[in-house]
Amino acid sequence: MSFSQHADFEIKSSSLKKVRNFCRDIFQKNQELENEQEKLILVIAEAAQNIIKHAYENKDSSDKMRLQISYVDNELQIDLYDKGKLVIEENVKPRDLDDVKPGGLGTFFIKQVMDEVIFSKEKNDDWVNHLILKKKIITQ
Amino acid sequence: MTYNITEENNISTIYLNGEIDMDVGDKAKAEIMPLVESASGEIHINLKDVQYMDSSGISVLIESHQKAEELGKKVVLKEISKSVLKVIMMAKLEQILNIE
Repeated sequence: MSFSQHADFEIKSSSLKKVRNFCRDIFQKNQELENEQEKLILVIAEAAQNIIKHAYENKDSSDKMRLQISYVDNELQIDLYDKGKLVIEENVKPRDLDDVKPGGLGTFFIKQVMDEVIFSKEKNDDWVNHLILKKKIITQ
Repeated sequence: MTYNITEENNISTIYLNGEIDMDVGDKAKAEIMPLVESASGEIHINLKDVQYMDSSGISVLIESHQKAEELGKKVVLKEISKSVLKVIMMAKLEQILNIE
C-alpha cells in the first residue's frame, strides 16, 4: 500500500485541530498506520505547532504551511513546509526531561517517536523551512 | 474545549472536555490557575472527557502542579483517558504528577 496526500493550513492556532483531523482521516483509512496513529498525530501536530510558535513567533499570518503525508514501502514520511523565520537546526533542542518545567516537550516527542528528523537545506519553491520526519512502520 | 467546576467536601474539581492544544491551552490555564490559588483544599482536574492533549496541555498540568506545591496544596489528575495517559508517560511525568 502506498499513498501521498497533502494539504495547506493557515498559520493560526485554530488550524491545529484541522491538522489533526486531516491526519486522522488518512491514518484511519490505512490499516497499517492505524495502530500508530495516536503518536503520529501528536508528533505532526507538535511540528505544526512549532511552526506557529517559532517560525511565526505566535503571530497569525496569511501565509500557509503545507503538510504532506506519504507512505511507500512501509516507510512513512511527513514533510512540513513553511515560509516563516528560518529555523536554525542547532537551536532546536528537546528539553531534558529531568528538568520538569512547562515547555520544550514538543521537540522531545517528535524525536522520541520518529526514526529520522531532518531539517532539509534544499531549496523548495518559495518555502523557507522544510522539515522531514520519517518512520519505518512495522506491520504484522 | 469546555469546562465545568464543582466544589464538594472541600475538593474543587474542574472537568475539562474536548481537545487540549495550543489553541485552547491558555483558556484551560486561565481557569485552572485561579482555582489552584483560591481553593482551600485539594484541586482535582478531571480529564475523562479529554480525548487529546499535546505538549501545551501537559504544560498547563505541570504549571498547576508546581503552583499547587508552591502554595502547599495538591492537584490531582482524575479519570485520565488512555490517550492522555500515554502522552503523560511519554513525558515521563507519571511519577511526578498526582494521578488517580
